Amino acid sequence: MRLIGVLVVVFIAAPLVIVVPMSFSDARSLQFPPPGYWLGYYHAYFTDMNWLRPTWNSILIATATMVVTMVLVVPATFALVRHRFAGKSIADLMMLMPLAVPHIVMAVGYYSFLGDLRLVHTHLGVVLAHTCLSVPIAFLVLSANLKGFDRNLERAAQSLGASPVKTFIHVTLPILRPGLIISALFAFIQSFDETVVAIFISGRDAETLPRKMFDSIRQEADPVIAVISTLLFVVVLVALVAPFAWRGLRNRIQMNASRSAPPAGQ
Amino acid sequence: MDHYLQLNGLTKTYGDFTALKEVDLAIGKGEFITFLGPSGSGKTTTLMIIAGFEKATAGDVLVEGKSLSGLAPHERNIGIVFQNYALFPHKTAVENVYFPLQMRGVSRSEGLKRAEEMLGLVGLSGFGQRYPKELSGGQQQRVALARALVFEPSLLLLDEPLGALDKNLREQMQIEIKRIQRTLGVTTIFVTHDQTEAMSMSDRIVVFEKGSIQQVATPLDIYHKPRTRFVASFIGESNIIEAAAVEPAARKATAEHIGEIEYGPSELDVEKGTPVTLMIRPEHIRLSRDPKEGRRNVRMKVETIVNYGDNALVIGRVGDLSMRVRVLGADVVIIKEGEDCHISWTPDSVYMIAK
Repeated sequence: MRLIGVLVVVFIAAPLVIVVPMSFSDARSLQFPPPGYWLGYYHAYFTDMNWLRPTWNSILIATATMVVTMVLVVPATFALVRHRFAGKSIADLMMLMPLAVPHIVMAVGYYSFLGDLRLVHTHLGVVLAHTCLSVPIAFLVLSANLKGFDRNLERAAQSLGASPVKTFIHVTLPILRPGLIISALFAFIQSFDETVVAIFISGRDAETLPRKMFDSIRQEADPVIAVISTLLFVVVLVALVAPFAWRGLRNRIQMNASRSAPPAGQ
Repeated sequence: MDHYLQLNGLTKTYGDFTALKEVDLAIGKGEFITFLGPSGSGKTTTLMIIAGFEKATAGDVLVEGKSLSGLAPHERNIGIVFQNYALFPHKTAVENVYFPLQMRGVSRSEGLKRAEEMLGLVGLSGFGQRYPKELSGGQQQRVALARALVFEPSLLLLDEPLGALDKNLREQMQIEIKRIQRTLGVTTIFVTHDQTEAMSMSDRIVVFEKGSIQQVATPLDIYHKPRTRFVASFIGESNIIEAAAVEPAARKATAEHIGEIEYGPSELDVEKGTPVTLMIRPEHIRLSRDPKEGRRNVRMKVETIVNYGDNALVIGRVGDLSMRVRVLGADVVIIKEGEDCHISWTPDSVYMIAK
C-alpha cells in the first residue's frame, strides 16, 4: 500500500518538479537533464514582448471572465438554490451544460457564432467564451456553499431589526465570503488555463499564454515554457500555503491575546 | 387577564393542509407562556406568524392593541432564540449581541458597552471576544438569549431552545432563562414538546394539537384538570376510564370491569346515562395487598413492574382494562409480577374530562 502511495505521489509530482531544473537550463530547447544552468531564459521571458503580451492578455481575460462570471452566477445561484419556479430544472441543466460538452465542440461553435458577431480574435470574444465555461464551475462551488447556509441566520438578523438588504450585507455576504472567493478563483483559473477555445478564437491580438505556449512548443520548444511553468507553479504554491500561514499567524496572535483572558468552559 | 398580545382567529393553510385553525389567545404583559404540543401541532407555525416569517391565511396578531400584520419581521421588535441559536459565526459574542443595537443606529462604543452588560446578565462576562465556535452549547445559548434581549423587545420568542443541550445543562438553563425573564419582565413565549420543561417554567401553558388550542391553563390545572383526553394523555401519565353517568347529582358513574366509580367536582354538566371519560393519575392510586378501608377497592393483576429506584411503575389489568400505578420505591417490595393486589383511590382524584 505504501509503495502504491509513493508511486502515485511520484507520478503526480514528477512532471511538476522536472520543469523547475529545465527552466534554469542552458540548452537551446527543452531537454532533461539539463546540460548546464543559467538564468538566461528568465531574462528572456521578462524582456520578450512576444511572451509578456500573452501573459498580460491572459491576466486581463481571466480577470474579466471572473468578474462577468460572478455577476451572472451570484444572482443565478440564489434564484436556483432558494426559489422554485417553472422551468427550474431546465435552467439547472443549462447552467451545467458546458461541463458536459467537449471543449473542442464548444470551440467550433464559438468560432462560427462569434465570427458572425465579428468578435473572433478580440478580447471580448475570448472573455464571453471563457465565461460560458466558467459559469458552471463557479455555480457548482457557490451552490454547494449556499445549500449549506443556515437560513435561520437570516431570520435571526431580521428579527434583530435588519432589513433584507442589511441582512444580506451584514450576514449573508460575509458568511458566504469564502465560497464566493473560491468560486471566483475557480472562474479565474479556468479562463487562465483554457487552451482549446483560446486556440480557436483568440487570434493574434488576444493571444493568451496557454495558446502561446502551445504554439511555441510546436515550433521550437523554447525553454521559456519551462520558466513560465515554474513561475505558475510558484504562484500556485504561494496561494495554497498563504492561507495556512496566515491562519497559523493569527492563531498565535490570538493565543497570546487570550492568555490573559479567563479560561473557557462550563 | 390583560391583553398585551392577542391572537385573533389565526389560520394557516398550505394547499389542502390546515396547519392552524382559528387560534385565539390573549397573553398578559410579563407572562411566561409555553406552547406545548407534539411536532406538527401548529405551535411553531404560530410562533413564526407572530415573528412575521410566515403569513397567516386569516386572522391577526396584535401587540398592545396594534396589528402587526403590515409589518416586516425587522419592524416588529421581537426577540427570537432559535433552536440552533443562529449566532453569526463571523462575529464575536459581544458583536453578536451588539448587532440589534447596530441596526437601530446605536453608536459602536455605547452599543458594545450595553452588549457587555447584557452578557454579564446572562452570566458570560469576560467571554465577549470569543467567536461562537469557541463557546460551549450552553454558552452559545446564553449569547443568543442576550442578543434577543439587548434591544428591549416587546416580546421574546424561544423556539425549542433547549433541545440541543444535555439533560443537566437543560435543567440549569431552565432555571437561568426563568431568572432572566423575571429580572427583565419581558413577555415570553416558549415553544417546546417537552412537558417537564413546560411544567417547570411557565406561568401558563397552551397545549396545541392538530392546529388548534386544546387548553390554556396554569401548569397545575393542566395536570390536574385536563380539559381533553389529548391533554390528559400528553401531559404526564394517566389512566383513562370510559364510563357512563349513573347519578350525576351524586357524581357517580359506572364503568366496565370496575363497577361504580365516584368522581370529583366538575364544571361539566352531564345527563344521566350519557358516556363520560374519567381520568386518574397513576400516583393517585394506592396499591396494597389487602383492601383499604373507607376507599373504593378494585382487584388488579400485576403484569409488569418497572423500577426507577425512587419510584416504580406497576402496570396491571383490571379485567380487560390496563391500569398504571406509581408507587414509592420502598413500597414495591410488597408485590411481585403475576400476583393479584388491590388498588384504591379517593373520589377527589378522579377527574372528568370533556371529551
